[in-house]
Amino acid sequence: MEPSLFSKPRDLFVDVVNPKDYVQIDSVSHIYQSLKNSVQKPLKMILLYGRPGTGKSMLLHKLHHDLSKHQKVYMIDIPIIDEDDFLRVLAQKTYSYASREPLSLTKFLELSAAVNFPIIPIVLLDEAQLYSSALMEKIRLISDARALKFVITLHKTDNEEIIAKEHFQTRIWESIELHNASYEELKIYIQKKLLKANCFDVANMINDNNIKLINKLTRGNYRDANKLMFALFTLYTWYEEHNPHKIKYNALSKKYIEMAAIHTGLIRA
Amino acid sequence: MLDITNLERRWFKYKLKRIFPYGLLVTLILVLGLSIPLIFSKGSPAPIDSLPKNSIKTAISTPVETTNEESSMILQPSMQFIQSMGAVPETDTTVPDTTLLGSSKNSVTSNTVKLPPVEASSSQSQNVKVPIAPTIKAPLPLVKGKLTSIKRDDVAFDIHEIEDRFKNNSNPNLGLYIAHYHYDHGNYAEAYNYALKTNAINSSMDDSWLIFAKSLVKLGKEDQAKKTLQLYISNSNSQNAKNYLETLTKETSK
Repeated sequence: MEPSLFSKPRDLFVDVVNPKDYVQIDSVSHIYQSLKNSVQKPLKMILLYGRPGTGKSMLLHKLHHDLSKHQKVYMIDIPIIDEDDFLRVLAQKTYSYASREPLSLTKFLELSAAVNFPIIPIVLLDEAQLYSSALMEKIRLISDARALKFVITLHKTDNEEIIAKEHFQTRIWESIELHNASYEELKIYIQKKLLKANCFDVANMINDNNIKLINKLTRGNYRDANKLMFALFTLYTWYEEHNPHKIKYNALSKKYIEMAAIHTGLIRA
Repeated sequence: MLDITNLERRWFKYKLKRIFPYGLLVTLILVLGLSIPLIFSKGSPAPIDSLPKNSIKTAISTPVETTNEESSMILQPSMQFIQSMGAVPETDTTVPDTTLLGSSKNSVTSNTVKLPPVEASSSQSQNVKVPIAPTIKAPLPLVKGKLTSIKRDDVAFDIHEIEDRFKNNSNPNLGLYIAHYHYDHGNYAEAYNYALKTNAINSSMDDSWLIFAKSLVKLGKEDQAKKTLQLYISNSNSQNAKNYLETLTKETSK
């Protein structure tokens, strides 16, 4: 059976954070470069924050992917809420500490003092808003003691201005805010993603009005855009198989975009 | 797998909901638009007279039977509609007709609903993109104020800042850290003070009691250190404290 024209584009938009899928957009590249520069400086903690779907996790994974070739970088993408577990896992990753005993902060700092790395290892913490205040305080102390350098990501929500939180009022050293994609950025993101995978025919189908509608529905949220595009190409795959006469190949159908938005919950119907 | 039939049904309902206010508005405009010529023709007596009486009766069904005063009342809405269309400067502000008020309300609510941008289908087909690579390469403005915001604070490490944090939140980990810091830097009195405060906040931290005892030893108060350790051991049975007490006893006996 001949593969569908839309099955490959559909698979491109599966919502998985993979640094290999990173799409270079000017403003994000600028942020990424400054993030890389900051990591090389003697800063102790770098905060990357923004609304959900602004690409924080992707940047963090990309950073991990790129830096791990040159220096010790450890990624904790699933938050470890328990304080003892956190320190133990961190010690295990960074200092190969194998004990299952609970690890106090003092012991952790002693371990770090005993190991002399030429470059301070970097720890990347995703979803740091899930950590408790007490644990965040410990993380700050570890970075204060220059045992490890932290890059953390936080959600910025309407109700919670994270940057104003007690932990981050002072001594963030560097904070970088990510914003939702603009219309142009979303256009570049979608087109580049398709072109990178040689999906030229499908890329040609997407016109400015399609992008405007997608941007309006997703509000520049990359995660939502991925979900929407995935649902859209799933629809197209189905129609191509069952009702090919309903597909027009000169532009994406507004109806199908709206149907995909209904399916993903972006439109309430 | 997607349930396409269900999805199409939901989409149809959604479209109906979206289109309804506009459909209503268009219908009202059409009705008003069609009624204008009728009202005008009724307002000017000359052409009516020139027409045969039978045809007038069929064209204007109910209003024909109204009096002259009523007919002037009917004229007002149509004039207002023309004013609202911008054709005639506003002269009369009284709008007695309730049906017209209702229609104006509808138009207001429909204005608040945002329509998706409507494009001519012909322009869509003409605008079929030839890719793409050149358009993508067009650089975006790098930093448009809102797009990026990077703040930096390059202040060097300062124990006073941690001390302030400890004052504010009384976190025992901070207290212990500060006690350690002062002990490592030979400020044993400060180390003693912070270990004491930490013990008061959390009396089960081995490290804090040890720093406390070690600071006492450094301050020349070995007996007090031993008493403190013994007291702590009796409460906690801490192996670390026992070891240190043993070491301390051996050293003093020498």
